Amino acid sequence: MIALRDVTLVYPNGTRALDGIELEIKKGSFVFLVGHSGTGKSSLLRLLYREQVPTHGEVTVDGVRVDRLRRSRVAQLRRSVGVVFQDFKLLYDKTVWENVAFALQVTGAPTRDVMRQVPRVLDLVGLSHKSRMFPSELSGGEQQRTAIARALVNNPKILLCDEPTGNLDPANTNDVMELLHRINLKGTTVVIATHNALVVDRMRRRVIRLENGRIVADEERGYYHATSGTADADVALARSRNGLGTATVLPG
Amino acid sequence: MDWGRLQFFLGEIRRNFTRNLIMQLTAIGTVTVTIVLLGAFLFTRQALTRIGDDVLHKIEISVFLKDGASADATKALQAKISADPRVAGVVFISKAEGLRQMRDRLQGQIDTSLLTQNPLPDAFRVKVVRPQDVRAVAETIRALPDVASVEYAHDIVERLLTLSDVFGKIGLGVVVLLLFTAAIIISNTIRLTVFARRREIAIMRLVGASGTYIRLPFVVEGLIDGLLGAAIALGILELGRTQLMPKLAVALPFVRLSSTNLEQLWLATILLATGALIGVVASWISVGRYLRA
Repeated sequence: MIALRDVTLVYPNGTRALDGIELEIKKGSFVFLVGHSGTGKSSLLRLLYREQVPTHGEVTVDGVRVDRLRRSRVAQLRRSVGVVFQDFKLLYDKTVWENVAFALQVTGAPTRDVMRQVPRVLDLVGLSHKSRMFPSELSGGEQQRTAIARALVNNPKILLCDEPTGNLDPANTNDVMELLHRINLKGTTVVIATHNALVVDRMRRRVIRLENGRIVADEERGYYHATSGTADADVALARSRNGLGTATVLPG
Repeated sequence: MDWGRLQFFLGEIRRNFTRNLIMQLTAIGTVTVTIVLLGAFLFTRQALTRIGDDVLHKIEISVFLKDGASADATKALQAKISADPRVAGVVFISKAEGLRQMRDRLQGQIDTSLLTQNPLPDAFRVKVVRPQDVRAVAETIRALPDVASVEYAHDIVERLLTLSDVFGKIGLGVVVLLLFTAAIIISNTIRLTVFARRREIAIMRLVGASGTYIRLPFVVEGLIDGLLGAAIALGILELGRTQLMPKLAVALPFVRLSSTNLEQLWLATILLATGALIGVVASWISVGRYLRA
Protein backbone atom coordinates (compact mmCIF):
# COMPACT_ATOMS: atom_id res chain seq x y z
CA MET A 1 0.00 0.00 0.00
CA ILE A 2 2.84 2.36 0.96
CA ALA A 3 6.49 1.95 -0.02
CA LEU A 4 9.47 4.28 0.40
CA ARG A 5 12.75 3.41 -1.32
CA ASP A 6 15.94 5.19 -0.26
CA VAL A 7 14.03 8.41 0.44
CA THR A 8 15.98 11.52 1.37
CA LEU A 9 14.40 14.90 2.01
CA VAL A 10 16.55 18.00 2.34
CA TYR A 11 14.76 21.30 2.94
CA PRO A 12 15.94 24.43 1.10
CA ASN A 13 17.54 25.70 4.33
CA GLY A 14 19.79 22.64 4.36
CA THR A 15 17.97 20.65 7.05
CA ARG A 16 18.16 16.93 6.36
CA ALA A 17 14.63 15.94 7.43
CA LEU A 18 14.74 12.38 6.12
CA ASP A 19 17.80 10.34 5.30
CA GLY A 20 17.78 7.05 3.37
CA ILE A 21 14.34 5.87 4.49
CA GLU A 22 13.36 2.32 3.49
CA LEU A 23 9.81 1.49 4.49
CA GLU A 24 6.93 -0.75 3.51
CA ILE A 25 3.43 -0.58 4.96
CA LYS A 26 0.93 -3.28 4.03
CA LYS A 27 -2.67 -2.75 3.12
CA GLY A 28 -4.96 -2.69 6.14
CA SER A 29 -2.20 -2.27 8.70
CA PHE A 30 -2.12 0.05 11.69
CA VAL A 31 1.22 1.77 12.16
CA PHE A 32 2.66 4.21 14.70
CA LEU A 33 5.38 6.60 13.72
CA VAL A 34 7.22 7.75 16.84
CA GLY A 35 10.22 9.87 17.76
CA HIS A 36 10.58 13.34 19.19
CA SER A 37 9.91 16.65 17.48
CA GLY A 38 11.96 17.40 14.43
CA THR A 39 12.89 13.78 13.68
CA GLY A 40 10.94 13.77 10.41
CA LYS A 41 7.60 12.14 11.34
CA SER A 42 5.53 14.93 9.83
CA SER A 43 7.87 15.20 6.86
CA LEU A 44 7.40 11.52 6.15
CA LEU A 45 3.60 11.87 6.27
CA ARG A 46 3.78 14.93 4.02
CA LEU A 47 5.58 12.86 1.39
CA LEU A 48 2.67 10.41 1.38
CA TYR A 49 0.02 12.97 0.50
CA ARG A 50 2.35 14.88 -1.79
CA GLU A 51 2.59 18.05 0.28
CA GLN A 52 6.32 17.49 -0.08
CA VAL A 53 8.41 15.89 -2.80
CA PRO A 54 11.50 13.89 -1.79
CA THR A 55 14.90 15.24 -2.76
CA HIS A 56 15.85 11.71 -3.68
CA GLY A 57 14.20 8.28 -3.71
CA GLU A 58 10.85 6.73 -4.59
CA VAL A 59 7.53 7.13 -2.80
CA THR A 60 4.74 4.77 -3.85
CA VAL A 61 1.21 5.07 -2.45
CA ASP A 62 -1.45 2.61 -3.59
CA GLY A 63 0.58 1.73 -6.68
CA VAL A 64 1.17 5.38 -7.67
CA ARG A 65 4.64 6.93 -7.80
CA VAL A 66 3.75 9.97 -5.72
CA ASP A 67 7.18 11.56 -6.11
CA ARG A 68 6.67 11.72 -9.87
CA LEU A 69 3.04 12.76 -9.77
CA ARG A 70 2.11 15.64 -12.02
CA ARG A 71 0.60 18.67 -10.29
CA SER A 72 -2.71 18.09 -12.03
CA ARG A 73 -2.94 14.55 -10.63
CA VAL A 74 -2.31 15.55 -7.00
CA ALA A 75 -6.02 16.26 -6.40
CA GLN A 76 -6.82 12.69 -7.40
CA LEU A 77 -4.26 11.30 -4.92
CA ARG A 78 -5.62 13.43 -2.07
CA ARG A 79 -9.05 11.85 -2.52
CA SER A 80 -7.64 8.41 -1.79
CA VAL A 81 -5.60 9.60 1.22
CA GLY A 82 -7.35 11.13 4.23
CA VAL A 83 -5.31 13.36 6.55
CA VAL A 84 -5.98 14.38 10.16
CA PHE A 85 -3.98 16.96 12.14
CA GLN A 86 -3.31 17.91 15.73
CA ASP A 87 -5.13 21.25 15.26
CA PHE A 88 -8.15 19.67 13.49
CA LYS A 89 -8.12 22.29 10.68
CA LEU A 90 -11.90 22.74 10.75
CA LEU A 91 -13.74 25.71 9.29
CA TYR A 92 -15.27 27.56 12.23
CA ASP A 93 -17.99 29.33 10.27
CA LYS A 94 -19.38 26.01 9.05
CA THR A 95 -21.36 23.42 10.99
CA VAL A 96 -20.17 19.86 11.54
CA TRP A 97 -22.29 18.70 8.62
CA GLU A 98 -20.98 21.50 6.37
CA ASN A 99 -17.37 20.83 7.33
CA VAL A 100 -17.71 17.18 6.34
CA ALA A 101 -19.80 17.90 3.24
CA PHE A 102 -17.26 20.55 2.16
CA ALA A 103 -14.67 17.86 1.42
CA LEU A 104 -17.07 16.22 -1.04
CA GLN A 105 -18.53 19.41 -2.48
CA VAL A 106 -15.19 20.92 -3.45
CA THR A 107 -14.34 17.80 -5.45
CA GLY A 108 -17.50 18.45 -7.45
CA ALA A 109 -19.38 15.47 -6.05
CA PRO A 110 -23.09 15.34 -6.94
CA THR A 111 -25.52 16.27 -4.16
CA ARG A 112 -26.81 12.70 -4.12
CA ASP A 113 -23.39 11.47 -2.98
CA VAL A 114 -23.14 14.22 -0.36
CA MET A 115 -26.51 13.29 1.09
CA ARG A 116 -25.47 9.62 1.30
CA GLN A 117 -21.85 9.86 2.44
CA VAL A 118 -22.04 12.60 5.08
CA PRO A 119 -24.59 10.80 7.31
CA ARG A 120 -22.60 7.59 6.93
CA VAL A 121 -19.32 9.05 8.26
CA LEU A 122 -21.05 11.18 10.91
CA ASP A 123 -22.67 7.98 12.17
CA LEU A 124 -19.30 6.22 12.09
CA VAL A 125 -17.65 8.88 14.28
CA GLY A 126 -20.74 9.14 16.50
CA LEU A 127 -21.63 12.76 15.77
CA SER A 128 -24.95 12.40 13.94
CA HIS A 129 -26.75 14.19 16.76
CA LYS A 130 -24.36 17.18 16.62
CA SER A 131 -24.30 17.71 12.86
CA ARG A 132 -25.90 21.16 13.13
CA MET A 133 -23.45 22.43 15.74
CA PHE A 134 -20.44 24.61 15.06
CA PRO A 135 -16.92 23.40 15.95
CA SER A 136 -16.65 26.01 18.72
CA GLU A 137 -19.59 24.32 20.46
CA LEU A 138 -17.82 20.95 20.53
CA SER A 139 -15.19 19.38 22.78
CA GLY A 140 -11.69 18.83 21.40
CA GLY A 141 -12.42 15.14 20.92
CA GLU A 142 -15.62 15.88 19.03
CA GLN A 143 -13.77 18.38 16.84
CA GLN A 144 -11.15 15.77 16.04
CA ARG A 145 -13.88 13.23 15.28
CA THR A 146 -15.39 15.79 12.88
CA ALA A 147 -11.99 16.13 11.21
CA ILE A 148 -11.74 12.34 10.96
CA ALA A 149 -15.23 12.19 9.42
CA ARG A 150 -14.11 14.76 6.87
CA ALA A 151 -10.98 12.76 6.10
CA LEU A 152 -13.08 9.63 5.57
CA VAL A 153 -15.94 11.05 3.54
CA ASN A 154 -14.12 10.46 0.24
CA ASN A 155 -13.68 6.78 1.18
CA PRO A 156 -9.88 6.91 1.27
CA LYS A 157 -7.82 3.71 1.38
CA ILE A 158 -5.29 5.35 3.69
CA LEU A 159 -5.77 7.57 6.74
CA LEU A 160 -2.75 9.61 7.84
CA CYS A 161 -2.84 11.19 11.31
CA ASP A 162 -0.28 13.76 12.43
CA GLU A 163 -0.43 13.96 16.25
CA PRO A 164 -4.19 13.32 16.28
CA THR A 165 -4.40 13.35 20.08
CA GLY A 166 -1.85 16.11 20.69
CA ASN A 167 -4.50 18.61 21.81
CA LEU A 168 -6.79 16.18 23.62
CA ASP A 169 -7.26 15.15 27.26
CA PRO A 170 -6.93 11.43 28.16
CA ALA A 171 -10.66 10.68 27.86
CA ASN A 172 -10.95 12.26 24.45
CA THR A 173 -7.68 10.63 23.43
CA ASN A 174 -9.19 7.23 24.19
CA ASP A 175 -12.31 8.01 22.18
CA VAL A 176 -10.30 9.10 19.16
CA MET A 177 -7.90 6.14 19.32
CA GLU A 178 -10.81 3.74 19.69
CA LEU A 179 -12.40 5.35 16.60
CA LEU A 180 -9.17 5.05 14.58
CA HIS A 181 -8.97 1.39 15.61
CA ARG A 182 -12.52 0.78 14.37
CA ILE A 183 -11.75 2.53 11.09
CA ASN A 184 -8.73 0.27 10.66
CA LEU A 185 -10.89 -2.80 11.29
CA LYS A 186 -13.05 -1.74 8.33
CA GLY A 187 -9.96 -2.13 6.12
CA THR A 188 -8.48 1.37 5.99
CA THR A 189 -4.71 1.54 6.36
CA VAL A 190 -3.96 3.88 9.29
CA VAL A 191 -0.63 5.63 9.90
CA ILE A 192 -0.31 7.71 13.07
CA ALA A 193 2.57 9.99 13.98
CA THR A 194 2.49 10.51 17.74
CA HIS A 195 4.30 11.52 20.90
CA ASN A 196 1.83 9.76 23.15
CA ALA A 197 3.58 6.77 24.74
CA LEU A 198 0.45 5.63 26.59
CA VAL A 199 -1.52 5.34 23.37
CA VAL A 200 1.23 3.43 21.61
CA ASP A 201 1.82 1.09 24.51
CA ARG A 202 -1.88 0.29 24.95
CA MET A 203 -2.43 -0.53 21.27
CA ARG A 204 0.64 -2.79 20.77
CA ARG A 205 0.81 -2.36 16.99
CA ARG A 206 3.67 -1.88 14.58
CA VAL A 207 5.92 0.94 15.83
CA ILE A 208 8.41 2.70 13.56
CA ARG A 209 10.87 4.91 15.41
CA LEU A 210 12.55 7.87 13.71
CA GLU A 211 15.65 9.63 14.95
CA ASN A 212 17.35 12.43 13.03
CA GLY A 213 15.55 11.49 9.86
CA ARG A 214 16.48 7.80 10.03
CA ILE A 215 14.49 4.73 11.00
CA VAL A 216 16.22 3.40 14.14
CA ALA A 217 13.64 0.78 15.12
CA ASP A 218 10.74 -1.01 13.46
CA GLU A 219 8.85 -3.56 15.55
CA GLU A 220 5.61 -5.47 15.13
CA ARG A 221 3.53 -5.23 18.34
CA GLY A 222 6.03 -2.68 19.64
CA TYR A 223 6.15 -0.24 22.54
CA TYR A 224 6.75 3.51 22.46
CA HIS A 225 10.16 2.89 24.00
CA ALA A 226 11.70 0.45 21.62
CA THR A 227 13.20 -2.62 23.25
CA SER A 228 16.33 -2.02 21.20
CA GLY A 229 18.28 1.06 20.31
CA THR A 230 16.58 3.51 22.64
CA ALA A 231 18.48 6.45 24.03
CA ASP A 232 18.01 7.56 27.65
CA ALA A 233 16.97 10.97 26.39
CA ASP A 234 13.87 9.50 24.82
CA VAL A 235 12.74 8.02 28.10
CA ALA A 236 13.17 11.33 29.87
CA LEU A 237 11.43 13.19 27.09
CA ALA A 238 8.56 10.73 26.98
CA ARG A 239 8.14 10.98 30.75
CA SER A 240 8.06 14.74 30.64
CA ARG A 241 5.48 14.67 27.85
CA ASN A 242 3.29 12.29 29.75
CA GLY A 243 3.44 14.44 32.84
CA LEU A 244 5.38 11.77 34.68
CA GLY A 245 8.32 14.09 35.21
CA THR A 246 9.15 17.75 34.78
CA ALA A 247 12.63 17.33 33.38
CA THR A 248 13.46 20.18 31.05
CA VAL A 249 17.19 19.59 30.96
CA LEU A 250 17.91 16.35 29.20
CA PRO A 251 20.90 14.25 30.08
CA GLY A 252 23.53 14.46 27.39
CA MET B 1 -24.33 20.47 -12.24
CA ASP B 2 -27.31 19.75 -10.01
CA TRP B 3 -29.17 22.30 -7.92
CA GLY B 4 -27.39 21.49 -4.66
CA ARG B 5 -23.94 21.90 -6.23
CA LEU B 6 -24.97 25.18 -7.85
CA GLN B 7 -26.31 26.41 -4.53
CA PHE B 8 -23.07 25.50 -2.76
CA PHE B 9 -21.02 27.21 -5.45
CA LEU B 10 -23.08 30.41 -5.42
CA GLY B 11 -22.82 30.43 -1.62
CA GLU B 12 -19.03 30.29 -1.88
CA ILE B 13 -19.01 33.23 -4.29
CA ARG B 14 -21.35 35.28 -2.11
CA ARG B 15 -19.14 34.53 0.90
CA ASN B 16 -16.09 35.73 -1.00
CA PHE B 17 -17.77 38.85 -2.19
CA THR B 18 -19.19 40.01 1.12
CA ARG B 19 -16.11 39.14 3.18
CA ASN B 20 -14.18 42.26 2.18
CA LEU B 21 -16.88 44.65 1.13
CA ILE B 22 -14.73 47.79 1.46
CA MET B 23 -12.00 46.31 -0.69
CA GLN B 24 -14.57 45.14 -3.22
CA LEU B 25 -15.91 48.69 -3.43
CA THR B 26 -12.36 50.00 -3.89
CA ALA B 27 -11.77 47.57 -6.72
CA ILE B 28 -15.08 48.37 -8.37
CA GLY B 29 -14.40 52.11 -7.96
CA THR B 30 -10.99 51.79 -9.59
CA VAL B 31 -12.45 49.92 -12.52
CA THR B 32 -15.14 52.58 -12.80
CA VAL B 33 -12.61 55.43 -12.93
CA THR B 34 -10.46 53.54 -15.41
CA ILE B 35 -13.34 52.67 -17.69
CA VAL B 36 -14.74 56.22 -17.55
CA LEU B 37 -11.37 57.59 -18.64
CA LEU B 38 -10.99 54.87 -21.26
CA GLY B 39 -14.50 55.62 -22.51
CA ALA B 40 -13.88 59.36 -22.59
CA PHE B 41 -10.66 58.76 -24.47
CA LEU B 42 -12.22 56.45 -27.02
CA PHE B 43 -15.16 58.82 -27.43
CA THR B 44 -12.93 61.85 -27.93
CA ARG B 45 -10.79 59.98 -30.39
CA GLN B 46 -13.87 58.89 -32.25
CA ALA B 47 -15.04 62.51 -32.41
CA LEU B 48 -11.60 63.78 -33.43
CA THR B 49 -11.33 61.20 -36.16
CA ARG B 50 -14.78 62.12 -37.39
CA ILE B 51 -14.00 65.85 -37.38
CA GLY B 52 -10.67 65.21 -39.05
CA ASP B 53 -12.31 63.04 -41.66
CA ASP B 54 -14.90 65.68 -42.35
CA VAL B 55 -12.25 68.35 -42.82
CA LEU B 56 -9.77 66.18 -44.66
CA HIS B 57 -12.33 64.80 -47.03
CA LYS B 58 -13.21 68.31 -48.10
CA ILE B 59 -9.61 68.92 -49.10
CA GLU B 60 -9.06 68.91 -52.81
CA ILE B 61 -6.06 69.37 -54.99
CA SER B 62 -6.40 72.21 -57.46
CA VAL B 63 -4.54 71.49 -60.68
CA PHE B 64 -4.04 74.49 -63.00
CA LEU B 65 -3.28 73.77 -66.60
CA LYS B 66 -0.88 75.57 -68.94
CA ASP B 67 -2.62 78.14 -71.06
CA GLY B 68 -2.08 76.53 -74.40
CA ALA B 69 -3.17 73.01 -73.50
CA SER B 70 -5.33 71.50 -76.21
CA ALA B 71 -8.70 69.89 -75.54
CA ASP B 72 -7.25 66.45 -76.39
CA ALA B 73 -4.30 66.97 -74.05
CA THR B 74 -6.68 68.06 -71.30
CA LYS B 75 -8.80 64.94 -71.79
CA ALA B 76 -5.73 62.72 -71.77
CA LEU B 77 -4.49 64.39 -68.59
CA GLN B 78 -7.84 63.93 -66.85
CA ALA B 79 -7.84 60.26 -67.81
CA LYS B 80 -4.32 59.83 -66.54
CA ILE B 81 -5.08 61.43 -63.17
CA SER B 82 -8.28 59.40 -62.81
CA ALA B 83 -6.35 56.22 -63.44
CA ASP B 84 -4.34 56.71 -60.22
CA PRO B 85 -5.86 54.34 -57.62
CA ARG B 86 -5.32 56.92 -54.87
CA VAL B 87 -7.60 59.38 -56.66
CA ALA B 88 -11.31 59.37 -55.85
CA GLY B 89 -12.48 61.75 -58.53
CA VAL B 90 -11.46 64.45 -61.00
CA VAL B 91 -13.68 67.33 -62.02
CA PHE B 92 -12.80 69.57 -64.94
CA ILE B 93 -13.40 73.26 -64.44
CA SER B 94 -13.02 75.34 -67.54
CA LYS B 95 -11.81 78.92 -67.56
CA ALA B 96 -15.39 80.16 -67.93
CA GLU B 97 -16.74 77.88 -65.19
CA GLY B 98 -13.90 78.95 -62.90
CA LEU B 99 -14.69 82.60 -63.41
CA ARG B 100 -18.38 82.03 -62.72
CA GLN B 101 -17.57 80.23 -59.49
CA MET B 102 -15.23 83.00 -58.46
CA ARG B 103 -17.89 85.61 -59.17
CA ASP B 104 -20.34 83.74 -56.99
CA ARG B 105 -17.84 83.42 -54.20
CA LEU B 106 -16.67 87.02 -54.24
CA GLN B 107 -20.04 88.58 -54.91
CA GLY B 108 -20.16 92.16 -53.65
CA GLN B 109 -16.54 92.20 -52.59
CA ILE B 110 -14.93 93.12 -55.90
CA ASP B 111 -16.49 94.16 -59.13
CA THR B 112 -15.68 91.35 -61.60
CA SER B 113 -17.40 93.19 -64.41
CA LEU B 114 -14.25 95.29 -64.61
CA LEU B 115 -12.35 92.28 -65.96
CA THR B 116 -11.79 92.68 -69.65
CA GLN B 117 -10.60 89.11 -70.12
CA ASN B 118 -10.67 85.87 -68.13
CA PRO B 119 -7.39 85.58 -66.15
CA LEU B 120 -8.09 82.05 -64.97
CA PRO B 121 -6.57 78.93 -66.47
CA ASP B 122 -8.44 75.68 -67.08
CA ALA B 123 -8.30 73.54 -63.95
CA PHE B 124 -9.06 70.16 -62.38
CA ARG B 125 -10.32 69.58 -58.88
CA VAL B 126 -8.92 66.28 -57.66
CA LYS B 127 -10.27 64.38 -54.67
CA VAL B 128 -8.16 61.67 -53.06
CA VAL B 129 -9.33 58.50 -51.36
CA ARG B 130 -7.18 58.85 -48.23
CA PRO B 131 -6.21 62.27 -46.86
CA GLN B 132 -2.70 60.97 -46.12
CA ASP B 133 -2.07 60.64 -49.86
CA VAL B 134 -2.79 64.29 -50.69
CA ARG B 135 0.85 65.33 -50.79
CA ALA B 136 2.06 62.35 -52.81
CA VAL B 137 -0.77 62.65 -55.35
CA ALA B 138 -0.15 66.38 -55.69
CA GLU B 139 3.55 65.79 -56.38
CA THR B 140 2.74 63.13 -58.98
CA ILE B 141 0.37 65.45 -60.77
CA ARG B 142 2.82 68.34 -60.63
CA ALA B 143 5.25 66.31 -62.74
CA LEU B 144 2.71 65.65 -65.52
CA PRO B 145 2.89 67.61 -68.83
CA ASP B 146 0.61 70.59 -69.36
CA VAL B 147 0.29 71.15 -65.62
CA ALA B 148 1.14 74.73 -64.68
CA SER B 149 0.77 74.48 -60.91
CA VAL B 150 -0.75 72.42 -58.15
CA GLU B 151 -2.23 73.72 -54.93
CA TYR B 152 -3.64 72.10 -51.85
CA ALA B 153 -4.10 73.01 -48.20
CA HIS B 154 -1.04 71.10 -47.12
CA ASP B 155 -0.71 72.83 -43.77
CA ILE B 156 -4.15 71.80 -42.60
CA VAL B 157 -3.69 68.27 -43.83
CA GLU B 158 -0.38 67.74 -42.14
CA ARG B 159 -1.28 69.40 -38.87
CA LEU B 160 -4.49 67.48 -38.54
CA LEU B 161 -2.75 64.23 -39.29
CA THR B 162 -0.02 64.89 -36.69
CA LEU B 163 -2.56 66.03 -34.11
CA SER B 164 -4.70 62.92 -34.32
CA ASP B 165 -1.59 60.74 -34.36
CA VAL B 166 -0.09 62.37 -31.24
CA PHE B 167 -3.41 62.33 -29.42
CA GLY B 168 -3.83 58.67 -30.25
CA LYS B 169 -0.40 57.73 -28.92
CA ILE B 170 -0.54 59.72 -25.67
CA GLY B 171 -4.09 58.63 -25.01
CA LEU B 172 -3.26 55.00 -25.61
CA GLY B 173 -0.30 55.24 -23.20
CA VAL B 174 -2.46 56.76 -20.47
CA VAL B 175 -5.17 54.15 -20.97
CA VAL B 176 -2.71 51.25 -20.83
CA LEU B 177 -1.28 52.67 -17.60
CA LEU B 178 -4.77 52.97 -16.11
CA LEU B 179 -5.73 49.45 -17.10
CA PHE B 180 -2.57 48.21 -15.46
CA THR B 181 -3.37 50.10 -12.24
CA ALA B 182 -6.89 48.74 -12.17
CA ALA B 183 -5.60 45.21 -12.70
CA ILE B 184 -3.19 45.58 -9.78
CA ILE B 185 -5.88 46.89 -7.45
CA ILE B 186 -8.30 44.10 -8.37
CA SER B 187 -5.49 41.62 -7.96
CA ASN B 188 -4.79 42.99 -4.46
CA THR B 189 -8.46 42.79 -3.55
CA ILE B 190 -8.66 39.19 -4.65
CA ARG B 191 -5.46 38.44 -2.77
CA LEU B 192 -7.10 39.78 0.40
CA THR B 193 -10.04 37.45 -0.17
CA VAL B 194 -7.66 34.61 -0.88
CA PHE B 195 -5.79 35.44 2.31
CA ALA B 196 -9.01 35.59 4.31
CA ARG B 197 -9.88 32.17 2.90
CA ARG B 198 -6.45 30.57 3.18
CA ARG B 199 -7.77 27.96 5.63
CA GLU B 200 -10.51 26.96 3.22
CA ILE B 201 -8.04 26.81 0.37
CA ALA B 202 -5.60 24.70 2.40
CA ILE B 203 -8.41 22.30 3.27
CA MET B 204 -9.69 22.25 -0.31
CA ARG B 205 -6.23 21.27 -1.49
CA LEU B 206 -5.94 18.72 1.30
CA VAL B 207 -9.17 16.93 0.44
CA GLY B 208 -8.42 16.88 -3.28
CA ALA B 209 -10.21 19.83 -4.87
CA SER B 210 -8.83 20.55 -8.33
CA GLY B 211 -6.98 23.79 -9.02
CA THR B 212 -9.74 24.95 -11.35
CA TYR B 213 -12.37 24.33 -8.70
CA ILE B 214 -10.43 26.34 -6.12
CA ARG B 215 -9.83 29.14 -8.59
CA LEU B 216 -13.30 29.47 -10.00
CA PRO B 217 -15.02 31.40 -7.16
CA PHE B 218 -12.17 33.92 -7.08
CA VAL B 219 -12.18 34.38 -10.82
CA VAL B 220 -15.95 34.91 -10.72
CA GLU B 221 -15.35 37.47 -7.96
CA GLY B 222 -12.89 39.34 -10.20
CA LEU B 223 -15.33 39.12 -13.08
CA ILE B 224 -18.09 40.64 -10.93
CA ASP B 225 -15.75 43.46 -9.80
CA GLY B 226 -14.77 44.20 -13.39
CA LEU B 227 -18.27 44.04 -14.83
CA LEU B 228 -19.87 46.09 -12.04
CA GLY B 229 -17.15 48.74 -12.35
CA ALA B 230 -17.59 48.89 -16.12
CA ALA B 231 -21.38 49.05 -15.84
CA ILE B 232 -21.21 51.99 -13.42
CA ALA B 233 -18.70 53.66 -15.73
CA LEU B 234 -21.06 53.24 -18.68
CA GLY B 235 -23.81 54.93 -16.67
CA ILE B 236 -21.53 57.86 -15.86
CA LEU B 237 -20.42 58.17 -19.48
CA GLU B 238 -24.00 58.09 -20.72
CA LEU B 239 -24.92 60.79 -18.20
CA GLY B 240 -21.98 62.89 -19.39
CA ARG B 241 -22.96 62.38 -23.00
CA THR B 242 -26.58 63.42 -22.53
CA GLN B 243 -25.78 66.36 -20.23
CA LEU B 244 -22.62 67.69 -21.88
CA MET B 245 -23.17 67.11 -25.56
CA PRO B 246 -25.97 69.64 -26.12
CA LYS B 247 -23.80 72.36 -24.55
CA LEU B 248 -20.81 71.36 -26.65
CA ALA B 249 -22.98 71.31 -29.74
CA VAL B 250 -23.93 74.93 -29.07
CA ALA B 251 -20.28 75.92 -28.59
CA LEU B 252 -19.07 74.12 -31.69
CA PRO B 253 -21.92 74.44 -34.16
CA PHE B 254 -19.97 73.43 -37.26
CA VAL B 255 -18.71 70.13 -35.85
CA ARG B 256 -20.65 66.87 -36.19
CA LEU B 257 -20.42 65.62 -32.59
CA SER B 258 -23.04 62.96 -32.10
CA SER B 259 -22.02 59.41 -32.84
CA THR B 260 -24.22 56.78 -34.38
CA ASN B 261 -26.02 54.14 -32.30
CA LEU B 262 -23.78 51.48 -33.75
CA GLU B 263 -20.66 53.36 -32.64
CA GLN B 264 -22.10 53.71 -29.13
CA LEU B 265 -22.99 50.04 -28.93
CA TRP B 266 -19.51 49.12 -30.08
CA LEU B 267 -17.95 51.44 -27.48
CA ALA B 268 -20.13 50.00 -24.70
CA THR B 269 -19.18 46.47 -25.68
CA ILE B 270 -15.48 47.30 -25.69
CA LEU B 271 -15.72 48.95 -22.26
CA LEU B 272 -17.66 46.09 -20.64
CA ALA B 273 -15.34 43.51 -22.16
CA THR B 274 -12.32 45.45 -20.90
CA GLY B 275 -13.74 45.57 -17.38
CA ALA B 276 -14.48 41.85 -17.39
CA LEU B 277 -11.07 41.02 -18.81
CA ILE B 278 -9.03 42.94 -16.22
CA GLY B 279 -11.16 41.40 -13.47
CA VAL B 280 -10.61 37.85 -14.67
CA VAL B 281 -6.92 38.21 -15.51
CA ALA B 282 -6.09 39.94 -12.22
CA SER B 283 -7.87 37.37 -10.07
CA TRP B 284 -6.53 34.42 -12.04
CA ILE B 285 -2.99 35.61 -11.42
CA SER B 286 -3.44 36.36 -7.72
CA VAL B 287 -5.01 32.98 -6.91
CA GLY B 288 -2.42 31.23 -9.03
CA ARG B 289 0.36 32.62 -6.90
CA TYR B 290 -1.32 31.23 -3.81
CA LEU B 291 -1.97 27.81 -5.30
CA ARG B 292 1.67 27.30 -6.22
CA ALA B 293 2.91 28.41 -2.80
